[in-house]
Parts: sequence; structure tokens; C-alpha cells
Amino acid sequence: MSQFGLFGTDPWWLVIVKVLGIFVMLVLLTLFTIWWERRVVSRMQNRIGPNRVGPQGLLQSLMDGVKLALKEEILPKAAHRAVYWIAPVISATAAFLAFAVIPFGPTVSIFGVETPLQLTDFPVSVLYVLAIASIGVYGLVLAGWSSGSTYPLLGGLRSTAQVISYEIAMGLSFVAVFLYAGSMSTSQIVLAQEPIWFAVILLPSFLIYVTAMVGETNRAPFDLPEAEGELVGGFHTEYSSLKFALFFLAEYINMVTVSALATTLFLGGYLAPWPISLWESANTGWWPMVWWLLKVQIFIFVFIWLRGTLPRLRYDQFMKFGWKVLIPVALIWTIIVAAVRILRDQVALTNTELLIAGVVLILILLAGAWVLQGRAERREQQRDADRAARAERQLDLVPGAHPVPPMPSQTFEYTPRRSALLTTQATMKEAEDA
Amino acid sequence: MEFISPELDYAALAPMIVVGVAAIISVLVEAFAPRSVRRFLQLVLVFTTLIGALVLVVLNSGMRVLTGGQSIALDGPAWIMQGTILILAILGGLLMAEGGVDPSGDAFAPRASALPGSEDERQFTIRGYLQTEVWPFLLFAVLGMMLFVASNDLLMMFIALEVMSLPLYLLAGMARRRRLLSQEAALKYFLLGAFSSAFFLFGAALIYGYSGSIAFGPISFAITTKAGENTLLLIGIAMLLVGLFFKIGAVPFHQWTPDVYQGAPTPVTGMMAATVKVAAFGALMRLLYVAFGGVRWDWEILLWIVAILSMLVGSIIAISQSDIKRMLAYSSIAQAGFILVGVVAASPQGLASVLFYLIAYGFTTIGAFAVISLVRNASGEATSIRDWAGLGKKSPLIAAIFSVFMLSLAGIPLTGGFIGKWGVFAAGVAAGDAWLVIVAVIASVIAAFFYVRVIVLMYFADPTPDTAAVVIPSGFTTVSLAAGATLTIALGIVPQPILDIIANAGVFIR
Amino acid sequence: MLKRPSITRGVPRAVNVYTPILVLGLLAFGFAAFSVILATFTGPKRYNRAKVDAYECGIEATPQPMGGGRFPVKYYLTAMMFIIFDIELVFLYPWAVAADQLEVFGLVAIVLFLVNLAVPYIYEWRRGGLEWD
Repeated sequence: MSQFGLFGTDPWWLVIVKVLGIFVMLVLLTLFTIWWERRVVSRMQNRIGPNRVGPQGLLQSLMDGVKLALKEEILPKAAHRAVYWIAPVISATAAFLAFAVIPFGPTVSIFGVETPLQLTDFPVSVLYVLAIASIGVYGLVLAGWSSGSTYPLLGGLRSTAQVISYEIAMGLSFVAVFLYAGSMSTSQIVLAQEPIWFAVILLPSFLIYVTAMVGETNRAPFDLPEAEGELVGGFHTEYSSLKFALFFLAEYINMVTVSALATTLFLGGYLAPWPISLWESANTGWWPMVWWLLKVQIFIFVFIWLRGTLPRLRYDQFMKFGWKVLIPVALIWTIIVAAVRILRDQVALTNTELLIAGVVLILILLAGAWVLQGRAERREQQRDADRAARAERQLDLVPGAHPVPPMPSQTFEYTPRRSALLTTQATMKEAEDA
Repeated sequence: MEFISPELDYAALAPMIVVGVAAIISVLVEAFAPRSVRRFLQLVLVFTTLIGALVLVVLNSGMRVLTGGQSIALDGPAWIMQGTILILAILGGLLMAEGGVDPSGDAFAPRASALPGSEDERQFTIRGYLQTEVWPFLLFAVLGMMLFVASNDLLMMFIALEVMSLPLYLLAGMARRRRLLSQEAALKYFLLGAFSSAFFLFGAALIYGYSGSIAFGPISFAITTKAGENTLLLIGIAMLLVGLFFKIGAVPFHQWTPDVYQGAPTPVTGMMAATVKVAAFGALMRLLYVAFGGVRWDWEILLWIVAILSMLVGSIIAISQSDIKRMLAYSSIAQAGFILVGVVAASPQGLASVLFYLIAYGFTTIGAFAVISLVRNASGEATSIRDWAGLGKKSPLIAAIFSVFMLSLAGIPLTGGFIGKWGVFAAGVAAGDAWLVIVAVIASVIAAFFYVRVIVLMYFADPTPDTAAVVIPSGFTTVSLAAGATLTIALGIVPQPILDIIANAGVFIR
Repeated sequence: MLKRPSITRGVPRAVNVYTPILVLGLLAFGFAAFSVILATFTGPKRYNRAKVDAYECGIEATPQPMGGGRFPVKYYLTAMMFIIFDIELVFLYPWAVAADQLEVFGLVAIVLFLVNLAVPYIYEWRRGGLEWD
């Protein structure tokens, strides 16, 4: 038997059962999450939230879906037809596909066939998830581009830039996990967390991943692609009816996917959490699926909580955070993890020596960061002061009123670039006259 | 899966490590040094590095090692070619450092990202900005070339090819004058270069499919043991050769040469024309002799055709050129054909003759482009051949030096070019390629026509009002030009020391 | 590699590890395509010129340039940086999986590789390539 045990040996009917199971579960989870989000956010805002359709309003999202199906389909005049049609399909398909390698539980018996509670697994399955997530981005950018409209285009560009920026930090946070698990297969990674979860020993990686996953799914506070105040609806501004519903579906499935991935890689997947794990049969049979679902729901609650709490970031702050904080931190942390692990195992450095080296290194890094940060801050303050001074000197007849040309008594100052240009032009004119 | 760490011979790799580290430092200088000291720091760094690496190459020249898991071969020919590349890069670097010829700065656009003809560009020019990014590019290109001539497996060769080419694509697009021409040249060079790299990679994949290895030793072994199933092998060789022929600028893969030679800043053209030829021929010979020596009869015919086409097409089209840089470009295509005659010989004598030819050609070419960068009129360099009429009467010294270079390229006795050509043709005859040599001699005669025509124009025509003036350069160009001229003549009169060094170097190790 | 002959109850087990992905993909694609097509039949159709114009908060739509017009060059820079770092990841993953076998040599090699990548990153940072405003 290969190291992947029973994977790839299911009979056909079981593959179809599993596929249908995953599909139905994802659709149901989406419907549930939308309702859950609306209820939780309402509570946080002292409202009640949807409570009319079905018990506690549980069927609200289903009704919304039916309503969308009965709405008119609008094809914008300037849209690129084929691409406009295919974009939501790409988004939704990719969202479903990423779930193929998520483990829900250990080996169980379904109608007498021994099979793992996971559709499939192979040596590079985390890489597969990343690849599929990247394909999902095509859906967004193509939707934005093909709509033939300004807001969607900007939204599509933004979300692409955002997703690829945070994908790097996300990818870097996985490196430490692979280092410890010695494998890229999801089932192996779960099993490698048997005594202790990676979230505990690789806490910084976990935190980086959690941050990146919020950016990756375009969720608040990183939901800039659909910043209503700036971009109306972002890439799906021009979409209506079920096409819009597909984007909605994809967004929520992606949320579930990244939560499931976080569970798999950092929270021990389907393994029972501590107090329950004392019960012997906690990790056998169908029970693990319950633990898995609970962990995923915790992440989803965190998503909702963030949305209920934090305001949206400004775009430049967001990109700055991704490129100038998350990536360097992830890189340095990865190197430290690798160095500690390999030096301890191979060069036989003791933990004390490593600890001392680590403390020294951290101090150096902190000092360096402090110096650089101080300089950057001073520079930024200087720039802000300059800008304020310039604004003050500049004409402002009635503060906040519509800008008008200066009166003869008023002085007018050009921007630095413009004034430099004017100076050179004057000099050259003098030279020509002379 | 057992993993064996490759052994690295750090002493043998030292020259390349020095250049590589310096290239990285050079990028950091760009990132952190204030603009006012950047040029100075870069010049100090670049020339210290190149000279230091040259010293290390000389010190190492006795070594014959395969290192890095057989992926790098540092043998006699490799040392000679690395040394040549370094010397030529120093001379080319001196040309690039010249800041006294163009009244508004050096040969490079003050800011390559500014649109040509825009207000931004004018601003940068007026403020006297200088592009210092060219120095890291130079170092990376040199690193790639040094690795190219020493790479002993296909992957290493591909990496070296890219490290060498990418900076050159960019350098070609940075001319201060005639920027649109320059940018067009860079784009053409890049696109065609990307195609040829792709060919090279496909070829490498096919060879891997045939032999199960990318290292030259195992490939050569597979050829001797797997006789009879050669389809993959032959297609693979042909594709690898396409990639390399592109780099040496041999017909029918020469289309980029005239445009790039003309559009690139003249110092870059000189540096590139000289060093890339050395690097590409080094790699070509190592590939053919070490990996594919066993199927010599199959690739020989291909080289025959390419050599004949290069010599004839290069020589004949050069006659009709009215731009001196384009003329030298076609001349370089023809020269590639002549050098291929020595490559086809596939003998130790052939290898030695090619090495000598490359050295002589390199110095001559750099010198010739140094002269071109000095002959100017109001709009920049006067590259139209008509503007050179009567230059011999206005500036006898420069005209005389240029004549030496032209004679050397034509292969007239008492110049390095003659000894080089003689050696290559002799090797060809000794290897039984008499017919090829006869074609080569005919092509040489045709080629001599256009080289001599420039000399005639300079001396036997009267200066016109359009005749360009020669600018007095600073020390950088003077040194480079003097070295080029001296070595061209020295190699023609007393070639023996160099011939001895080459003879001692022996052949490629396996 | 991962195929096994059938062991029990005569059910053919000829599925390999990648086939289930294909099945899931077909289902998901079928569902998405069906939804898109379904919507054209279920929804009403009432034409209105303003409805099919590009949405711009109710004002007359700005004419679109061909092919979406020109993008700010910033996005290209970001894309290029992404490719560089993504390829870095492609090299980091296999190393991470095999790090224990590669020992100190592997560590030194990968650290050198990362330093090499850090240099252009620092360069771009210093030159303002990471600023958005």
C-alpha cells in the first residue's frame, strides 16, 4: 500500500457519493453562513436580523437565492459577452474545487467500504489548493474587465492586486508547516499534529496566515475591492441575477475553504481538541467531523466578528501592510524556524544556545526596525508638515469651498514639479533672448 | 530518497563568486547611496571587482576541476575565456564610464523610464542625472558570461544564458540619443532572445528525454551506448544550437544583430559585441565537443551550412550598409561564420585557433566602437559612413587607429585578425574541410572590400561640411582605445605568448 | 503508483487520486453553468436604455476606451513582484518538505537564495515601488 493508504482506491459510486456530499455541504454551509453572519452582525449592532423566513429566519438566504433567480438579467452594452458569462462560472467552480483535498475525518466505513473522510489526497495537495485559489482570481479580474465599466474594472484590478499580495504572505506561512510536517499532503499534515497543534508551536505562522486569509478572501477589514463608498460594488457592480449569486456563493465558499485550510494546517484538522481528546474514541468514527466543523465555525465567527468590529483600511495602508510588514515578517520567521530546527537537529546546538542566539537576533532586529521606523516616521511627518504648510499658503478663499482662480491680490503657488518646470522654461527663455 | 550535497570548490569558483557578490552589493549601492556619490562608488566597485576577478582567474589558471556536482567545469579553455571576458569587460566598462564625450552626460539616458521627448526627460537631462543602474547590469552580465563558458550541464548553461542576456536586453535600451531606436532595439533583442531561450529549453528537455540527464558527461555516455535511436537527440541538438546560434548572431538567426548594434548605446554595443561572442562560442564548443562529440558527423553538416551562410550573407549585406554601426553588425555576422570554420574542425588545433580568434576579434571590436563613440556631430554620434569622408585629414590619429581595426577585421597581415583567420583556416584544412575554407577565403575577400572602403573614404576623400568631428575623450576612453589598438597590433606582430598560453590550456575536460 | 487491484466484493477500484477532482469539477462547473443559463429563462426582460449602460451613479456613462484603457503601472510592478515571490515559494516548498534530509547545506543554500531575493525587494522598497497613494 502506498503512503497515501486508501486514497485513489474508492469505487466509483463512493467517489460520486463523496462529491455530492461535499457539494451539498458547501451549499448548505454557504446558506447557513450568510444567515449566521447577518444574525451575528445584527446582534453586534443591537438589531435583530432576519427572523421571518423559516425558524429563526434560517431559510432567509435560500429565499434570497430564489429571489435572485427571478430577477432580470442585465447584460451591459459595453460588456465583452463571452468573458462576462464565463467569469462567474470560473469563480464558483474554483471555489468548489479547492475543497477536494480538505480532510474531514479519519478512515470510516461507508456501506462496508473502508475509506478516508476526504475526497482525495496526493503529495502536493496544499499546492493544489493554492493553485485553485489563484484560478479563482481569474474570475474576479475577468468579471471586472469584461463588464466594460469603470467601477468593476477598478474593483477587479484592486482585488487581483490584493489577492496576489496576500497570497505571498499566506504561502510563506505554510513553509514552516511543511518543514514540521515533512509533507505537503493535507492528511499527513493533520496526522503530524497528533500530539500538539502547529498553531501552538508555529504561532507567528498561524497569525500571519489568519491575517493573510482575511486579505485573500476580500473580507472586512480588507474588503477594498467592494468598498461601497469608492467603488459601488467592485468587480460585480454590473452583475445581476444568478450570476451575481454565483459570485456571492464563491465568496462564502472561499471563506469556508480558507477556514478549513487553517483548521487543517494549524488547528489539527479533525483531531479532537484537548479536553475531548482524553476520551479514547474521540478520534474514531464520524466524531472527528464534528470537531472539524466546530473549528471551521470558529474561524467563520472570527470573520464575522472582524466585520462587525473593524473599519475598512485605506488602500495604501492595506498594500503597505501586506508588502512592508507581512511579507518581511513571514520571511524572517520562516528562516528562523528553519535555522532553529536544522541547527538543533544537525549541528546539535543546545536549546540554551539557540535561545541566547534567538534573543540576540530578536534584539538586533527590533533595534534595526526601531531605527528604520523612526526614520520613516520622521520623514513622513516632514512630508505631512510640508504638505500642510503648502496647503496653508495656497489659495483657499472660503475654506472647503469649490476651488476658483486666484484674485489679483492673492498669491498662488504651483506644485513643486510644476514650479520647477516653469523655472526652467523661464531660464531657457532668458538664454534664448540673450 | 538519499540526498548528496554537491561538493563546491570555492577556490575555483572564487572569480565568479566575487563578481556575483559585487553585483549584489552594486544593487544595494543603488538602493542606499545618495545620488551624488553613486557613480563614484559604482565605478570603484565595478573596476575593483573586475580586476580582482581577473587576478583570481590568473592565479587559478592551473586548475582543472569539475565542481558543483559536475555542473561547472573550470579547465584551461574556461580560464582563458573567463580572463578574456573580464579584460574585455574592463575595456567595455571604461567606455561606459566615459562622461566627457556627450555634452549632456554619459552615453546613457538620464532616466530610462521617462518617455522619449517628454518634459520629464528634459528635466532629468537639465539636472544632469546619470543612470547608474548600468553598473549592476554590467556585473550581472559578466557573471552570466563567466558561468556560460564554464557550465557543464544544460540547466546551468540555461541559467548562465539568462543571467547574461537579461541585463544586456536592458542595457541595449538605454541610449541617451535616439532613444526610440534604442528602445526598439531592446524590445527586438528581448523578444527574439526570449524565443531563442525557449528553443534552448525545449532542446534541453528533449536531450533529457533522450539521455535521462542534463549533465554533459552522462549525455555523452548515453550517446555512445544508445546507438541507433537518435531522433530525439538530433532534434534536441538542433534546438540547442538554435539558441546558441542566436547568441553568436549566425545566419539565419542574425536578424536582431544590425538593429541592436545600431540602437544600443555605442559603449554597450562594443562591450556586448566583444564579450558575448566569446561567451557564446565558449558555450557552443563545450556543448558540441564534450556532450555531443559522439555524434560529430551529424552536427557537422549543420555547422557547415550555418558557417557558409553567415560568411556570405554577412559579407555581402555589409557592403550595402550606409551606417557604420550596422556595417560592423553585419561584419560581426560574417566573423561568426569565420569562427565557426574553426569550430567545425573539432580538433585541439581548432579549439586553440578559435580562442585566439575570439581574443583578437574582441579587442579589435571594442576599439572600433570606442572610435565610433568619439566621431560626432551636432546630433550625437555620426554613424553615417558618408560623414566619415576625409576624417583622415581632419583627425589623422583617430583615422589611423580606426584603419588598424578595419584591417584587423579584414584579416590583413601584421594585425591580430590575420593570425586569427590564419589559425582558423589552417585548422579547417587540417580537419579536411578544404571546401569550407575555400568559401571562407572568398568571403574574406568580399568582406575586405567594405572594410577597406571605409579607409579609402577617410583618407582619399576630401572633408565636406558634413564631416564629423572627433571629440577629445577623458582618460576612460583613451585607455580603452589605446589598449584595443595596442593589443590588435601586438597580437599581429608577436602573437606567440598568447598562442603559448592557449596551447598550455589544453582542451575541455570531461 | 496509487492503484490497487480490487480486494473485496468484486467492485472495480480503478479510480486514481486525481479522478475525484475531475468529478467534483464537472459537478461544480455544471451547477454554475446551469445557474447562469437558468437565470436567462426565469428572470423578466424589460428593456431600458439606461439599464444596459455602464453603471455610474445615475449619470451618463463615460465612454470606455478600447480594451479597458491603460492601467496604472503600479499594478504591473505589483504583478512582477508577485511573480518573483511566487517563484520563491515554488523553491521554498520542496526544500521545506525535504529540509531534514538536506541538512545544513540545504539551509545555507536556501538562506543565500532568500538573501538574493531580498536584495531586489529592498531595492524596490527604497525606490518607492511599494508606495501607493
